[in-house]
Amino acid sequence: MNHPTSRRPGELLFNLLVLIASLFLFWQAYAIAQFSSLSSSGALPLAATSIMVISACLVLIKTIRLPLEPHVRFIRHIFPPIIGIVMALILMFAVMLEPIGFILSAAIFLFIAMTFLHRKGWVVSLGLTLVSLALVYCVFRLIFKVILPEGIIPEREIMAVISHWFSANF
Amino acid sequence: MKKTIIGALTALTLSTTALAAFPEKDIQGIIQWGAGGSTDTVMRSISPHAEKALGVDIVLTNKTGGVGAIAMKYVNSKDDDGYTLLMGAENPQMYKVLGLGDMDYNDMITINILARGTPVFVARNDAPYNNMQEFTDFVKAHPGELKIGSTGNGGLTSIVMAMLQSQISLDYTSIPYNGDGPALTALQGGAIDVMPAVLGATIEQIKAGRMKVIGLVDKEANKLLPGVAPITDTFPGLKSYLPWGPFFGIFVKQGTPDDVVKKLQGAFQQAAFHPDFIDLMQKRGFTILNISGEEANYFLSGYRSTSSWLVHEAGFSKRSPEEFNIPRP
Amino acid sequence: MEALSFFAISWISPQLLALTALGTFLGIYVGAIPGLSVTMAVSILISFTFSWEVNNALCLMVGVYMGGVYGGSRTAILLNIPGAPSAIATALDGYPLAQKGLAGEAIGLSTVMSVIGGFVGIFVLAVAAPFVSDFAISFQPRDYMLLGVLGIMLVGSLSGNSLAKGVLAGSFGVLIGTVGLDPLTAEERFTFGVVELWNGINPVAVMIGLFGISEALTQLHFMHKASVKQVINRIIPKWKDVKRYLPLSLQSSSVGVIVGALPGTGGDIAALMAYDYAKRTTKNPEVEFGKGAKEGLVAPESANNAAVGGAYIPMLTLGIPGDAVTAVFIGALFIHGLNPGPLLMIEQPEIFWFTVGNLTLANIFILIFGLTGIRLFAKLVECPKGVLIPIIFLLSIVGAYSINNAITDVWWMLGFGVIGYFMKQYGYQVGPVILGVILSRLIDENWRRAILSEQGNIAGFFGEAFTSPLSCVLLATIVFIFISHTPLWTRWRKNKSSKS
Repeated sequence: MNHPTSRRPGELLFNLLVLIASLFLFWQAYAIAQFSSLSSSGALPLAATSIMVISACLVLIKTIRLPLEPHVRFIRHIFPPIIGIVMALILMFAVMLEPIGFILSAAIFLFIAMTFLHRKGWVVSLGLTLVSLALVYCVFRLIFKVILPEGIIPEREIMAVISHWFSANF
Repeated sequence: MKKTIIGALTALTLSTTALAAFPEKDIQGIIQWGAGGSTDTVMRSISPHAEKALGVDIVLTNKTGGVGAIAMKYVNSKDDDGYTLLMGAENPQMYKVLGLGDMDYNDMITINILARGTPVFVARNDAPYNNMQEFTDFVKAHPGELKIGSTGNGGLTSIVMAMLQSQISLDYTSIPYNGDGPALTALQGGAIDVMPAVLGATIEQIKAGRMKVIGLVDKEANKLLPGVAPITDTFPGLKSYLPWGPFFGIFVKQGTPDDVVKKLQGAFQQAAFHPDFIDLMQKRGFTILNISGEEANYFLSGYRSTSSWLVHEAGFSKRSPEEFNIPRP
Repeated sequence: MEALSFFAISWISPQLLALTALGTFLGIYVGAIPGLSVTMAVSILISFTFSWEVNNALCLMVGVYMGGVYGGSRTAILLNIPGAPSAIATALDGYPLAQKGLAGEAIGLSTVMSVIGGFVGIFVLAVAAPFVSDFAISFQPRDYMLLGVLGIMLVGSLSGNSLAKGVLAGSFGVLIGTVGLDPLTAEERFTFGVVELWNGINPVAVMIGLFGISEALTQLHFMHKASVKQVINRIIPKWKDVKRYLPLSLQSSSVGVIVGALPGTGGDIAALMAYDYAKRTTKNPEVEFGKGAKEGLVAPESANNAAVGGAYIPMLTLGIPGDAVTAVFIGALFIHGLNPGPLLMIEQPEIFWFTVGNLTLANIFILIFGLTGIRLFAKLVECPKGVLIPIIFLLSIVGAYSINNAITDVWWMLGFGVIGYFMKQYGYQVGPVILGVILSRLIDENWRRAILSEQGNIAGFFGEAFTSPLSCVLLATIVFIFISHTPLWTRWRKNKSSKS
């Protein structure tokens, strides 16, 4: 086993946050059923969270002892802007999914993300967006009947019209 | 090409302006319980018959969670246009007293209550008791020793045991399972001794002799169980609660237009008369009800009264039935 | 002789043959796409095949089941997104192989091993079903609980560099598994009054987030690097390799059959246990586990497909589902007018042999479809990262949504994606978290049932455990694995090997 010999920027803070979260969860687990009985609904949560607290302490102590890794910066190596931007894009997608519907939000997301990451111009991005969206829509909505959020596009009405039209004309 | 587009456009405008009769698009059916459960099986076997009567597809979706509360909440968050059906079991009738929500089926419109199950007591084959009298005597003689499977507070087992406890005080150990399937498996493996369960879930095992019936929780004998006396022979006091049993029903949101409700009720009533469906339900030991309207409301209120008060008197309700003006049975 | 004629029904009818093939083909894609589960697909097929003849419907569904369990490995190897929980263990060593440009070889090997596993499962189903089901049903809550603890020991193998971090991640996973209404008493745990949390956090959402999203985010660091070129000249594994891994595959398959036959556990746990077993017993792997060891691919892939045959054992003999999919099959049989239960074997023996024959057929189709489409799949990962990564995000979101048609699962999935990203940055492994999530319920419920059966008496619990041979074996295995992790043991082993 090769143990790490230095810590990365932000690692100390992360491990500290983990410890705080573990303590909070331990307190929450205690609140379920206190130490009432071995078979209560709080038994396993208590066991799990106490192990979390102990191991979080061990990890934190180990991390404090290590020297900071040289030449590594949080903003460049751990959380570069590109990650932040993509996370924000995904967040937007998820927020808009229900209000404006799957088709529109996914199209916007794919188009922006591909233009930004692939950098081959907007025509290529648009083409790729349409092809991949059509594939995903066919597989999920049409074959496996997953009802994706419809939002502002009345998909079911459009499909009913298309199928009516087909049955009327053929 | 041009013609095609014009054709499509006219079709679109026509259908939106003329407002074709319900249903003009696919209907979404929300099943309260997971794939493979009894509610799922029943709904998936009736829907194709109803589809024929309605002329559109019913797209079935399982939406589990919160003892069915999540599905109920979802359906009630949709438009009251009859395009979203709630397909569920009896659980919501207990939500109020168990503190799981402030809505039940009485706050929705019933499309159809399809069928009702009959609870039975089953025991391990090697158990030294064969009927309810011997069973209760055995529990009395061995306090705390007998292991009875349960499916949580508000589940069928808890209510049947509450009924029994209202007649005779018993001291036993309750072993919880999440569903009657796992509990009945445990019964065959010897992890529990007795289990109150719905007849349909046990009938095949009983026929094969892998477990035995020791009690039929009904007022009358059942033709699937020849020679088993109804529980009221031993405990006549239970007559006021019976017949009682879990049920399956289809519901829509309050406020759905009358003509839509009529259309749906008609379709499902016709579907529930289909011989395949009747055959399937009877083989599983369910009593076909196929009721809607007043009759259904009466049934729902009766179920709610009996169960809520039993649960309340057994001491595991979160809120009193009185708070919701649920009358005593 | 009669059995043989039932066995061959689906082999000689062109229609049934075609339906099985179609089912298997569809199943591979259902399995490969995260969020689309075999359970869901088979339920949809129930409605779809409602008016069909029962044999036709069964062929399609059996194909989907077999194909689906196998298909989960595809995306696990190529994109690090396990298509289903039973493919989690496959991702651990499969994805590193793809990163080295060996995706084609990895898929080829996993296909052959899945098929071997599948055959072992079917074989046991055909010859020993009644015995195995009696054995499976005799598992007491105590034994399930011990089995869960045995599974949790796997944290030791999945921890990477730091055991403390692994244990932390594992117990975090166990905790996630307890969120929601307690399935036994309906008490709220960590729900903070939110109804959406009543049903808990779906393991598949956690899985897609921790594996798929976090890996895609990590890949953003390397946008300037070109995608790995895949070597696809050798897809069908060398006979020498197959022969070499055959013993491990057979052993893993037996783990798979048993775990699959237990009504309380399925292919996901089987695959993880087999992975652990492989890691423990492989003395000198060519490549380290977690970095692309082929043993780490062979074991889970054999086990999860063997679990299919296993899951059918209690279903066909007793009418007790071995996993979620066989539960849906029971519903399907009912709808088609059959009576799945202990009498099925006596009243309708044709169904048993028909299913055995059909499973065998589906298994052969896996070999055919599995080995033919690899080139295309391997090429898929070569597509530019700027295109692939947005599509991974899209698939993850749609996949998470389709688990239960709820946006809540999407939020959880994204949340765990971000957590997973930071965990990876700071030297935590994500494997133990998902392990904890999967085993949490098994341990929680059965521990409490076991204790309740002893009326809260822990001494009674151990007393019973020592009198039951099954519990004794499980307990001894746990103790042995635990000791073998301690420094004392490793030192003793080292001394011994240096002397000899």
